[in-house]
Amino acid sequence: MDRRYTILALIAIILAAGLLIIPDKGKTKEMEPEKLLSAVNDQARFITTDAVTERIIGGDPTLQLIDVRPADQFNKFALPGAISIPLDSILSQTWQDVLQQPGKDKVFYSNGDVEADAAWQLCTRAGTRKVFVMKGGLNYWYNTIIKGAEPSNTASSEDLDQYSFRQAAKLYFTGGSPAEERRTYINEDAPEPAKVKVNVVKKAPAKSSGGGC
Amino acid sequence: MEQKKKTGTTYLNPYLGGFCFGLVLLATFVITGRGMGASGAVKSTVVEAVSTVAPAHAEKSAYYSKFLSDNAHPMNTWLVFESIGILAGAFLSGLLFNRLKFKVEHSPKITSKRRLIFALAGGALFGIGSQLAKGCTSGAALSGMAVLSLGGFITMMAIFGTAFVFAWVFKKNWI
Amino acid sequence: MGVIPESWNNVFAVLLGMGFGFVLEGSGFSSSRKIIGTFFGYDFVVLKVFFTAAITAMIGLLYLSHIGWLDFSLLYIHPTYLASAIIGGIVMGMGFAMGGYCPGTSFCGIAIGKIDALLFVAGLFIGVLIFSEAFPLLEKLYNSGNLGHKLVSDSLGISKSLFAFLLTVVAIGMFFGATWLERKVKKVEY
Repeated sequence: MDRRYTILALIAIILAAGLLIIPDKGKTKEMEPEKLLSAVNDQARFITTDAVTERIIGGDPTLQLIDVRPADQFNKFALPGAISIPLDSILSQTWQDVLQQPGKDKVFYSNGDVEADAAWQLCTRAGTRKVFVMKGGLNYWYNTIIKGAEPSNTASSEDLDQYSFRQAAKLYFTGGSPAEERRTYINEDAPEPAKVKVNVVKKAPAKSSGGGC
Repeated sequence: MEQKKKTGTTYLNPYLGGFCFGLVLLATFVITGRGMGASGAVKSTVVEAVSTVAPAHAEKSAYYSKFLSDNAHPMNTWLVFESIGILAGAFLSGLLFNRLKFKVEHSPKITSKRRLIFALAGGALFGIGSQLAKGCTSGAALSGMAVLSLGGFITMMAIFGTAFVFAWVFKKNWI
Repeated sequence: MGVIPESWNNVFAVLLGMGFGFVLEGSGFSSSRKIIGTFFGYDFVVLKVFFTAAITAMIGLLYLSHIGWLDFSLLYIHPTYLASAIIGGIVMGMGFAMGGYCPGTSFCGIAIGKIDALLFVAGLFIGVLIFSEAFPLLEKLYNSGNLGHKLVSDSLGISKSLFAFLLTVVAIGMFFGATWLERKVKKVEY
């Protein structure tokens, strides 16, 4: 009788000891809901399509675009330098290395910005830092940069600058075919529009971008 | 030579029983996310009874109102069903091991009446205590311990420590 | 945890309860004199069953959590209300020593026909009623010392696994001690 119990006791102790040896996969650090809520309200996670465009053109090494659309859409068209991480696998182990890269700003984009925002929320909750959402998504990017609606007569000078910038960016993306008519907007009342200059501002890698992480 | 048990009855090996009990408890946690309980069923019944007999009083009361309809936690009904299960399971076991018998179990040194009075009084005290501690030995102590709850351990130690002292105080009732 | 659809919840309640009742009665917890034996040294069944169940469930939960099948943070941790946990425990201990039952075991007792168990449960109802009516007086005590859903391993500053290991060792030590004591103590007919 006694020997059986001794053996059982040893088995129990070994099982309990096993807990100490087996690595704890259950530990996922999650951001507290309040922090997440304030980050969501913060809006600091949004990056405009213009800002993204500027960085693409300038070859900013700290930018990492992440396309969260399904892979087939990514293959049809994607922004230069973007990698494809479909939304449903955003939290999988495979992509953790890419997402955890400290020096880079990870900018999610999708066709609109709902999926990209969802990706942002998932990653932020899981504690990933420096993740952003391209506001308006590919649709907005396309409509403003590539299609580029002409500003109206009463546009402000900022709008004009923005339009010029976008037109120039369009050339960058579409290869500037000679047949493309380069239209500059002329407004008699306004001062001479400045020559289009795409300012490349190399952002310091350690730029702090809020986001409430 | 075969040893025949004249009196006494067969009980499961306590470690086996404990192990199976632990598995049932584990299953409960996995399935429902909560542990087991028994005093909760009594509380739910009392709340229901009072709110049926004197609904206005129940709603006004600070305690009953916590557990009434709008604030009702599904766990309250769950415990009632669980308790029905306890009765059924215990009955089966009693049937199987031939322990079904109406009797008042008491030490030969005291009368049945004394035993019954103490049972009633003990129950009343336990009822009060279980509400204060928000659980009993199954709910707070055992289930609490299984998830490493500090409250569970504290309640467990308080129950067993006190019971130890008072058992000796009432020794005559038992041995 | 939402593993099972809602409507099945109560079915499982009954099934799990049956497992609970069967094992408890089978181990002898339907007998108040057997239960009280732990405190007099002639029958440590309560100690053995209780702690074996606790460490089985604890180790099981931690293993499931470690391999990722279970999210420990979703489990309901009995909240710690310091003062009421202690005082409630003391009052329950007194009731335990007088009645020889706790709610779960008293149900088992009723199921096999014990009249004293029936009276115990009647007492439970009365006790709950008394408490509920007297709640305004007791409310402050009831709510005091709320430390939230605190883990004992956190209070001691060790990991859950280490605590489970230590508890297992302690429990086994108690089992051996209990077996030794049982042999030394005068036999009691019950």
